[in-house]
Amino acid sequence: MDPLIVTQAINVLYGVSTLAVLALGLAVIFGLLGVLNIAHGEFVMIGAYCAYVAQAGGWPYLAALPLTLAVCAILGLAVEWIMIRPLYRRPFDTLVATWGLSLLLRKIAEAIFGLGYQSVNIPLPGTVKLLGTEYPIYRLLLIGISLAVVAALVVWYGQSRTGSRIRAMVSNPELAQAQGISVRWLAAGTFVTGTCLAGLGGVMIAPLVPVQPFMGLDYVLRAFFVLIVGGLGSVAGLFSGAAAIGGVDSIISAATNAANGYFAVLVLAILFLWLRPRGIVARG
Amino acid sequence: MRAASLVVLIAVILPFLLGQFWAYQLGLYALYAAAAVGVGLCWGQAGFLPLGQALFFGLAAYLSGLAFVAFQDTPIVAVLILPLGAIAAGLLAYLIGSLVFRRSGESGAYFSMITLALALLAFQIATSWNSVTGGFNGLKGIPGLPGLDDISDVYYVSAAILLAVLAFAGWLYNAPIGVLWRALAQNERRLQLFGFDTNQLKAVAFGISGLMAGVGGAIYAPQQGIVTPQVIGFGLSAELVIWAAVGGRASLFGPVIGTLLVGSLTAQLRDTLPFWEVLMALFFIAIVLVFPRGVAGLAEPLLRRFPPRRRKQAAIVAPGDPAARPPAKLALDDVSVHVGEVTILDQLSVDFEQAGIFCVIGPNGAGKTSMFNAVSGELGAASGKIGLGGVMTSGLAPHRVSALGVARKLQIPSVFADLSIADNLAVALWSGRAGKLALLDPRLRRWTSPMLKELQSRYPFLAAGARKAAELSHGEQQILELAMALLTEPRVLLLDEPCAGLSPEETAAAMEIIRWAQQRLGGAIIIIEHDMSLVKELAQIVYVLHNGALLAKGSVAAIQADPAVRAVYVGGEK
Repeated sequence: MDPLIVTQAINVLYGVSTLAVLALGLAVIFGLLGVLNIAHGEFVMIGAYCAYVAQAGGWPYLAALPLTLAVCAILGLAVEWIMIRPLYRRPFDTLVATWGLSLLLRKIAEAIFGLGYQSVNIPLPGTVKLLGTEYPIYRLLLIGISLAVVAALVVWYGQSRTGSRIRAMVSNPELAQAQGISVRWLAAGTFVTGTCLAGLGGVMIAPLVPVQPFMGLDYVLRAFFVLIVGGLGSVAGLFSGAAAIGGVDSIISAATNAANGYFAVLVLAILFLWLRPRGIVARG
Repeated sequence: MRAASLVVLIAVILPFLLGQFWAYQLGLYALYAAAAVGVGLCWGQAGFLPLGQALFFGLAAYLSGLAFVAFQDTPIVAVLILPLGAIAAGLLAYLIGSLVFRRSGESGAYFSMITLALALLAFQIATSWNSVTGGFNGLKGIPGLPGLDDISDVYYVSAAILLAVLAFAGWLYNAPIGVLWRALAQNERRLQLFGFDTNQLKAVAFGISGLMAGVGGAIYAPQQGIVTPQVIGFGLSAELVIWAAVGGRASLFGPVIGTLLVGSLTAQLRDTLPFWEVLMALFFIAIVLVFPRGVAGLAEPLLRRFPPRRRKQAAIVAPGDPAARPPAKLALDDVSVHVGEVTILDQLSVDFEQAGIFCVIGPNGAGKTSMFNAVSGELGAASGKIGLGGVMTSGLAPHRVSALGVARKLQIPSVFADLSIADNLAVALWSGRAGKLALLDPRLRRWTSPMLKELQSRYPFLAAGARKAAELSHGEQQILELAMALLTEPRVLLLDEPCAGLSPEETAAAMEIIRWAQQRLGGAIIIIEHDMSLVKELAQIVYVLHNGALLAKGSVAAIQADPAVRAVYVGGEK
């Protein structure tokens, strides 16, 4: 096979699987709590800056993980307490509030790190030979990790007690509360899971993208479009949305330029909103 | 009028008070303020949030910049085509609004995200399309507006533009379309059931906001002499929203106050105080969470001490007579409705005489309210036909069904809580009577009708115009909604448990008014009711629904004797 095609194909696979992880946290919060967290991208940014801080401090790259999880969990808990909990079932107000949060987090990052790009070194440099082409090993690793993270979350949600409690809460919060489930803490936990997943995504992609305060905007939009196109509530939806958005973006960007790729993604999302608002894999 | 002349006076003397530097700053920020007024219109009035408003500001700025560069030698031509840039921005906004609102879901989050994405896309195009936009460094060397010599001239042009935008917005807020926007923000479904195309109302609001941003942008190019991608991207979009929120999005002047105050302060303090913008973001969140009326809200208690003098204006009898439409038979033929796996209406066939009072009864889950939802166009039928006097209504949007003369009262009292009683009633009067252009005419707010006068004499609280509907008791809200439904003078009136939650006296009054209305309108009134004593009093014919199909139909006595009906209610045999 033509090595160039193989490279491009793995690139698309890489784009789609990382996009799935980046959208996963948003899907958890939006799909289960009905809260559209526009600051989702800023949690990705926080993850990326944590990776930068860990590396700049001379720590091993994996140290960024507990750092990110701690920051995103504490922040997520505070945010849920201050601005999400009072506004449950008022989707428009949470939209505005989390938008304010995204501004705040960006401005804080700007005040601490400045507007410029920071770069993070790839922790696993080098390539491996795959189907006749050399491919960066770190990207292959990310594809594997992405698939593992999504699979782990799905299995846990489907099998564990907490998973079934969350399902109970989603379908009827009052009844769940009456059954002795602490809906408050469960919702907070769900929100924090979403923010931590975003942070995790940030750590993963940090070495491959420019790290800067505004990076989150792009990711929240892409993640949101994945959910529009794929539909909420299923792994099949998540991956088909990621495949459509990531695929269209990378193919058109490779064929012409990045602005056209972005434009195509936008048109695709508007078409879906308009013609098929429940996405490719509609549930219920 | 006093307020308006005061504002103009302040605008005129401001440069003398503050000096050249601030005149220059205000000249720039007045243009941003024009765009912020548009954000206030969308967010504070119509209730949806545009996150990418700089798109329209920037688009007009680039178009006008290009025109001024192209007609460098004949600047008068550039001035003449300058409005086209603003109009192009307005049209683009209207187009985007019509496309996205057609299927945007209720929360409006989808719309906000799309506008955000569009602004990012525009930024990308502006930076990468070097040959036209000048790329990252921008479009340079744009000549200024001809005939403006010093900074105060430039300021006065901006101030005049802003005042014109404010006057336009003030007029719109006062016109019926403004009332409809505020009604839409509170209860979009109710407005659709009154026959208004809410998606179009939102698209028009967004189009006008795009026009306002475009007006600012079109002047910006010759004023600043340079247009960079900064004016089209996310940064300015975000600031416009902050300014509108801090100033007070719901008031006319709020966004202007926010822009001039926060905007010009930020321009000064951004570099000296590194955490200034962090503070602003915190302030924004606080405003959203606890003080949604913003700075303008602080002035409200003060303004209430000086109520504007209102001349008592004569009421105008609403034109047109919807009651002149001939009565029509409502008929459902073999209608099935499914939601997911569940069949809600199961090949339901039922027809109602064109005049009379009919009651629909049935156990919970029988499909009574779903039948109403199918008739009013809110629930799509998988199969079957719904017709009104020979006109097919199945497949029509709710506002089109309403236009054919179907009115509805919902089960939970559904009025526009933050609007005054007078405005609630006016919305009902405009339904089916006011043409689209007439919605711009403030005189329509003085409309009345013979029916309204009769209702007001029966229920004096309906004449207490300025009170907010939210201040009414549950029973009064039920009556208000019933009155609103009657004011549309429908051919078919659907009432979903109109007496739920009413005291015995109120119930008796409501029953009396239903009988009176049927006489007065001459059409059909179809009532879902659980209370058998009411059914006995009112119903000419009773329809019993069970499991989404018609079980029985007949007089009250016949229904009570029907063994099949007894079985369903008592649960004898399946």
